[in-house]
Amino acid sequence: MEIYKADVIIVGGGGAGLRAAIAVAESEPSLKIALVSKVYPMRSHTVSAEGGAAGVKRPDDSLEYHFHDTVGGGDWLCEQDVVEYFVEQAPIELTRIEHWGCPWSRAADGHVNVRPFGGMKIQRTWFAADKSGFHILHTLFQTSIKYPSIKRFDEYFCVDLLEEDGRCQGVVAIEMATGEFTMIEGKTVILATGGAGRVFRESTLGGIVTGDGMALAFRHGVALRDMEFMQYHPTCMPITGLLFTEACRGEGGYLVNKDGYRYLQDYGLGPLQDKPKNKYMELGPRDRLSQAFWHEQQKGRTIEHPVFGSVVHLDMRHLGEAYLRERLPLIYEMAETFMGIDPAKDPIPVRPGIHYTMGGIKVDGKCETSLPGLYAIGECASVGIHGANRLGSNSLTELLVFGKQAGDEAAARARSVAPGNSASLQKQAEAAEERVLALKNKTGTERISAIRKEMVKSMEDGCGIYRLEETMRQTCDKLAELRERFKNISLDDKTSVWNTEWLNAIELDYQLDVAQSMAHSAIERRESRGAHQRLDGPDGAYTQRDDVNFLKHSEAYYVPDSAPRIDYGDVKITKSPPAARVYGAAGEQADAERNASHV
Amino acid sequence: MSKRRPYVRSKSGWWKKDPYYVEYMVHESTALFVAAYAIVLTIGTVCLAAGEAAWNGYLEAMKSPLSIIFHLILLAAIVYHAFTWFKLFPLTTPPVVLGGKKLEPELIVRGGWVVAVGVAVVSFVIVWGLA
Amino acid sequence: MSEQKIIEIEILRYLPESDQEPRSEIYKVPFTDDMSVLQGVQYIKDNFDGSLTFRWSCRMAICGSCGMMINGIPKLACENFIRDYYPKRITVEALNNFPIEKDLVVDLSGFIEKLEAIQPYIIPKEPRTVEQGEYIQTPAQFSEYIQFTSCINCTLCYAACPQVGLDPDFIGPGAMALLYRYNRDSRDGGEAQRMEVAASTEGVFVCGATGYCSEVCPKKVDPGNAVNVNKINAAKDYFLRFLSPKGGAK
Repeated sequence: MEIYKADVIIVGGGGAGLRAAIAVAESEPSLKIALVSKVYPMRSHTVSAEGGAAGVKRPDDSLEYHFHDTVGGGDWLCEQDVVEYFVEQAPIELTRIEHWGCPWSRAADGHVNVRPFGGMKIQRTWFAADKSGFHILHTLFQTSIKYPSIKRFDEYFCVDLLEEDGRCQGVVAIEMATGEFTMIEGKTVILATGGAGRVFRESTLGGIVTGDGMALAFRHGVALRDMEFMQYHPTCMPITGLLFTEACRGEGGYLVNKDGYRYLQDYGLGPLQDKPKNKYMELGPRDRLSQAFWHEQQKGRTIEHPVFGSVVHLDMRHLGEAYLRERLPLIYEMAETFMGIDPAKDPIPVRPGIHYTMGGIKVDGKCETSLPGLYAIGECASVGIHGANRLGSNSLTELLVFGKQAGDEAAARARSVAPGNSASLQKQAEAAEERVLALKNKTGTERISAIRKEMVKSMEDGCGIYRLEETMRQTCDKLAELRERFKNISLDDKTSVWNTEWLNAIELDYQLDVAQSMAHSAIERRESRGAHQRLDGPDGAYTQRDDVNFLKHSEAYYVPDSAPRIDYGDVKITKSPPAARVYGAAGEQADAERNASHV
Repeated sequence: MSKRRPYVRSKSGWWKKDPYYVEYMVHESTALFVAAYAIVLTIGTVCLAAGEAAWNGYLEAMKSPLSIIFHLILLAAIVYHAFTWFKLFPLTTPPVVLGGKKLEPELIVRGGWVVAVGVAVVSFVIVWGLA
Repeated sequence: MSEQKIIEIEILRYLPESDQEPRSEIYKVPFTDDMSVLQGVQYIKDNFDGSLTFRWSCRMAICGSCGMMINGIPKLACENFIRDYYPKRITVEALNNFPIEKDLVVDLSGFIEKLEAIQPYIIPKEPRTVEQGEYIQTPAQFSEYIQFTSCINCTLCYAACPQVGLDPDFIGPGAMALLYRYNRDSRDGGEAQRMEVAASTEGVFVCGATGYCSEVCPKKVDPGNAVNVNKINAAKDYFLRFLSPKGGAK
């Protein structure tokens, strides 16, 4: 087995991982950084983010507003001290990446421009046309090339963490090009592996979004927090799930049902607005918009398309071709290429699709997990800023703010600890190698693609936009069954070089763990909050938010060969006590009342 | 021991594998015809310098049917070369931004033709006038 | 659902642990009109042969993973649709001009080294602190470089370029577009350093101006333009060195 000795190991080369690597390199150039990623960094899923990154920019905005939008948007399940830190750092980090070359779109005076986004009181979303994630990722990747202390392990697939003396001290990875194992020793490890939305069927997500880091931490006893909160993005391409950014609505797009009616006015988001108005109508939060779709469907007011199924229309015709091409070029191209629709001439059929994992590896405000030396950042982590529903454009900023913070923290820690016991680590690494190789050589009867298909279907059935005890129970049972059947898989490919079937099997193994944490966290949360909405309970009790019993984070703990154990942790409240979560005119009134009470 | 065994495909005959490459090779080879015509003109200049007899001999040779056929072939090849060369014009000119919008490649190609045809006509008129 | 039809997909397979050289295999794949070539290839892996190997991720033509030769032309498999080839057979092969690692996966390490070599990061003309805020970029300055930021590193242009095939060390269109992107950015002052790479023996003058790179670019970056304009710039630098006491851009 190859052995490489680093100081800081970062698993995942997306926005968060790259930002952390740069932070380590800048804070202490003598530290050796190993950046391990199963794809070349610029393929990471950050690349698909479209709309933008939130950070206070305009003089009429304030950190206070960004804080309240985020906490309210998260239905008060946010760690408020962490949100305070986040909103404060956001403009700093967004400016820094501008200095590194990120081509943020500009206003006519040459300053960075901002656009409106759902659930945000003032426009504060920095954007690079509708390819913000792409530009952030490429800027970070290209900037990272400047630092010789960053050694990249591109197309290395991480299969285990190494733990010694109660500290995380390394990782084991497969070099995909050869199928051989490498042990990387390090004093600290940062997980930046992204979300897990691929456990669902119709999603906006790339094939690599399989929750690898979540499962790795989970199996090492770290809690997965708030996993029941999965974000449905309201405007996705039917069947493929590809994303039509919220910026479509931020720039003025309408959502209409089969009668051409802007139905959102019926769901507490009105009254009707002609121009985009922050926190009204189409600029409501994602959970509410996806839920409104579901209700429209129940009422039979969605459009029944012969191929796409139930859809509503995203209508941007009134914005005109020139404006759309300037502000939303990727969206324009996607509509044309994938659907044969010219959005300046015809409305786009859309429906909700899985988009984001609000929960993740439980970390403290400094991004450290309960396993010393192990940090987690970005979508794989639950640092506590998204609560029960993430606001669009907070997550790109999160990558930068917490990537930087974790990088600084991990570097400081790495300077102060001694190297581990190599011999003992190697033994663990060899055990991991044996276990993972065994997966390849199994001679069962199950195809992994079949298990995957059943998993994603079951997650969609049980853990969709609205949830019921009975269907969630069926999903939990199904996942337990699939866990058993996974033991009986057989692969067509038993070779070493570039064996993606084998890697897919390891991913499926991760996904099943993560899916179980989601389904079991969901069934235990007997209330409705943010993206977790139930239709059941005695007298419909679970259809309401229940702050008495559930103003708590769920925490799923790994139990070998069994369903996870679900525990609960406190929510940190600093300055925003839970209140009714309202938008549109009602939201404006609530804001006014809050301000009055402060005076 | 790594089991990697990257396979490198042969490049032989690469230019026949795509119409784009074929056009490129034809374009490049028509440059030889441009060179051939330059040689013809050079010979003419040499003959002119050598005196009236040589010059008249050169003019006579130019009038032979073989020479006319040869010149027609040259003309066809050079027009093709010019056509494909102008097609590549936008590739080789720095982006021209007018009023915040990039100039369309089509316009650059057309601009090239306008200049070329213009120069040809002006030269022709001058030569005709002199003759 | 729309009616299900069958398409033949012929894939150039190469399993390095059992094949001496690549061989063709034909699969009959049921498809619907919304299916991309990528989905067709995925169908084969899921249902017929799990050993079929290819890179893919985003499915929306932005991650740059799924470049393949489709009927001999370098394309992203995710944004080309089976319906447009039906009823003829689709042939799929690994990207040209790269060594094949396995099936449709090629060795990209050379390309990555080229990217790293051109110093693709801002070398500030006037360093600025975060407290000073962002750099100001007028719309005119912005339009100078923005087109060249759109490269997704899919390497289709490398597969299209005959010179890359003949001289694998040629820096190539994609990396040169990125070089040009930074040189034209008003925040940057690193042009002189980068032009050394552009003017080197593996730089812009290897290009024979085929123009196919720009033709196949899925993001309309026009890398061929970046290469050819840099020929002019490199030549200008060379001559200015003799004329100016400071010596061109250097």
